[in-house]
Amino acid sequence: MDRVPPRVLSAAVGIAVLALWELLARTVYAGSYRLSPPTLVVVDFFEYRDLYLRNLWHSTKTAAWGFLWGNLAAIALAGVASILPVLRRSIGAIALTVFCLPFIAVAPILRLITGPGNGTPITLSALAVFFTTYVAALLGFDTAPGSALDVVRSFGRGRLAAFRRVRLRASVPAMIAGLQIAAPAAFLGAVVGEFTGARSGLGILTVRALGALHTERIWVIALLSTIVATGGYMVIGALGRWLCPWAPALDVGAVPAARQEPGLLNRMAALLAPIIVVFVFWYAFLWVFQIKPFFAKTPFDVWAELFTNADAAETRSSVFGALGTTLWTTSLGYVAGLIGAVVTAVVFVLIPWLERALMPIAVALRSIPIIVTTPVIILFVGRGLLTTTAIVAVMSFFPTLVNCYAAMNRTPVGILDVLKSYDAGSAAHVRNAYLPTAVPALLASARIAVPTSLLGATVAEWLATGDGIGAVMVIAFTRNDYNVLWVSVAVLTLVAVIGYWLVAAFELRTLERVAPGASR
Amino acid sequence: MARRGAPVDVVGVGRTFALGGGEVEALRGFEMHVPAGGFSALIGPSGCGKSTALRLVAGLDAPDEGTIDMDGASPDQMRRGQRIGVAFQDPSLLPWRTVSTNIRLALELVGRRHDTGSVDDLIELVGLQGFEKARPAQLSGGMRQRVAIARSLVTEPDLLLLDEPFGALDALTRQQLNDELQRIWTARGTTTILVTHSIPEAVYVADEVLVMSPRPGRVVAHHAIDFERPRTRELLLADEFHAKVEAVSASLHRSEGQVVQLEADDS
Ligand SMILES: Nc1ncnc2c1ncn2[C@@H]1O[C@H](COP(=O)(O)OP(=O)(O)OP(=O)(O)O)[C@@H](O)[C@H]1O
Ligand SMILES: [Mg+2]
Repeated sequence: MDRVPPRVLSAAVGIAVLALWELLARTVYAGSYRLSPPTLVVVDFFEYRDLYLRNLWHSTKTAAWGFLWGNLAAIALAGVASILPVLRRSIGAIALTVFCLPFIAVAPILRLITGPGNGTPITLSALAVFFTTYVAALLGFDTAPGSALDVVRSFGRGRLAAFRRVRLRASVPAMIAGLQIAAPAAFLGAVVGEFTGARSGLGILTVRALGALHTERIWVIALLSTIVATGGYMVIGALGRWLCPWAPALDVGAVPAARQEPGLLNRMAALLAPIIVVFVFWYAFLWVFQIKPFFAKTPFDVWAELFTNADAAETRSSVFGALGTTLWTTSLGYVAGLIGAVVTAVVFVLIPWLERALMPIAVALRSIPIIVTTPVIILFVGRGLLTTTAIVAVMSFFPTLVNCYAAMNRTPVGILDVLKSYDAGSAAHVRNAYLPTAVPALLASARIAVPTSLLGATVAEWLATGDGIGAVMVIAFTRNDYNVLWVSVAVLTLVAVIGYWLVAAFELRTLERVAPGASR
Repeated sequence: MARRGAPVDVVGVGRTFALGGGEVEALRGFEMHVPAGGFSALIGPSGCGKSTALRLVAGLDAPDEGTIDMDGASPDQMRRGQRIGVAFQDPSLLPWRTVSTNIRLALELVGRRHDTGSVDDLIELVGLQGFEKARPAQLSGGMRQRVAIARSLVTEPDLLLLDEPFGALDALTRQQLNDELQRIWTARGTTTILVTHSIPEAVYVADEVLVMSPRPGRVVAHHAIDFERPRTRELLLADEFHAKVEAVSASLHRSEGQVVQLEADDS
């Protein structure tokens, strides 16, 4: 087994999976809409080739525009945050809030501004790439060598010169790592934008196919999305290796949380500044686009709807009741995904040939926007609560697996030598080396997975399950009940931000113990 | 004196690494013989294969040619018998463990986790009292190396392999630890191989100093050191000590010169 080249092994595994899939679809699942045999999927693609390619092209174009605008905005704001450190926390809060938005419910609100055309998917696509690119760019600017910065300063030049001459150049590897993740994210944003209505594109095609239970079509779309998104990921990765071959591989999903300054006043500022900034943006958004009061809800409208209006109690019970369901199914999937990922990473690190056979597949799956394949999972698992859990589990599983395995693989050789010199067994290796070295990557992945899990859950609920806050939002959307829609978006975003913060706080405390000096 | 170590016989060992497209021949015809309970110091130019040789003896790597025998056992068998203690150039501590739990790691790995008394003794021995609960990141480089040394000693191995364990220490601490090392060695009679860059250190602690040639490394000179033990710091001032240091130094320079000569001949 150890001598088979990895490519051959992966190809063999791929073929085996396809064969099993074909077999299952033709036997156990024959006659059901759950699973299409790969051969029929291929046939369907060629039969409706024009339709597929037209819509694929449309979504790809949308994603490309979103990719462009979102990344430009993120890099520009990261630049501002780097040159003017006072603004850092506020800009970071905006970026995080954007990352925590339930995109699927934001789409109808955006559509009020952009009209029925392509504006909403492009905007969502831009929003979807914003956070990771912002984090990556800022990390890149921060990694500029202090000595080089000192040289610029010693010539009496200011921060701007340091930024232009040193930081911008130093940021290229991290920036490319960010853009790499942004490629599938942009595609995800575009397709999610199309889910809620568009003239063409893979998103709307999926929704129609889901309504008609056109199984093959859903599979074709999922595969096409995967190919394009993964293609973008790989092309940018190759570009990165070509541009900066010296730079080590970096995954933005594994970057540790930023450390907070000590002191009560700083803590208060850390808490208040983002809230104020978000409120200012909220009002600015309503004011700039002059949205009609029927559609536009201010933070106070949301508050009134939840606590002071006549039917506030009713709204509360429906929104928070549904939120409870969503949080329950989501946390189940989230925890299952994380635990599964760590266990799989341990298995991979202990059984190298298994890793060589399966890891390339996991890396490919890590790069695909799982949300885009939600309809496939809906078909397969059904429309129950389990669907949400399954989607969230799959979404948190792959990035965590890839990041944790990479971390375990970087266990210092010296530590492994010490263990080996005492003839330590697998269990001792896992306990004393692999698990502890993977902790920072696990926590970083767990933090990033909070908003993405909630996003996946709401998409699944919106499209399929009829449970949870996603369902509340889709009903509000069809009834033009903008009060409930805004309330849900606000509550969900707040929950995601709080979840992110909680994991970040836990991460920082743990890193101090487990990997001192790892946090930024 | 109780001699409970294992003798080490290395015969005709060669080790070549694949590096990029090419190959690096680290050792060729490497031989060394350390009697049971002996103390040998290995000295040689940087990159000559000292660490490679030590890893082979530790059973962490296998030679491409030649044999290594320890009283009938192979390095791998010794390693599996948990009879070896190693301290490397890089202290390789577990950053999430404290000083005392890092030392205890070795005990846990050999299934003697309750032997905590020896941990405390060793902490005192390497002068880290008061730092039991500190984590590696809170220690200086030299303190970390002392933890690594304590860890290598705590299981009372039959073979102690030290790869420049004092590299990051100041001269004073280094001398202190050399005294301690000598004391431990005298008390326990563990076969010890010490890799070092410091000729006076090698001459001070070892029974025999082996001088290696540049890569591909092999032993080109043996210097028996028969100063009386226990050796004290007065020895450092003695004429015969300086004579020995000069002799080792001269053969080290000769060995470096040899290869320069060879390379000149090649071109
Ligand atoms: N795992 C490896 N793969 C490839 N080359 C190696 C490996 N280990 C050692 N080498 C090479 O073997 C040679 C000897 O290395 P080694 O670490 O044994 O030297 P050393 O004598 O310990 O040097 P130093 O005094 O600097 O520690 C070097 O040229 C090194 O590059
Ligand atoms: Mg070395």
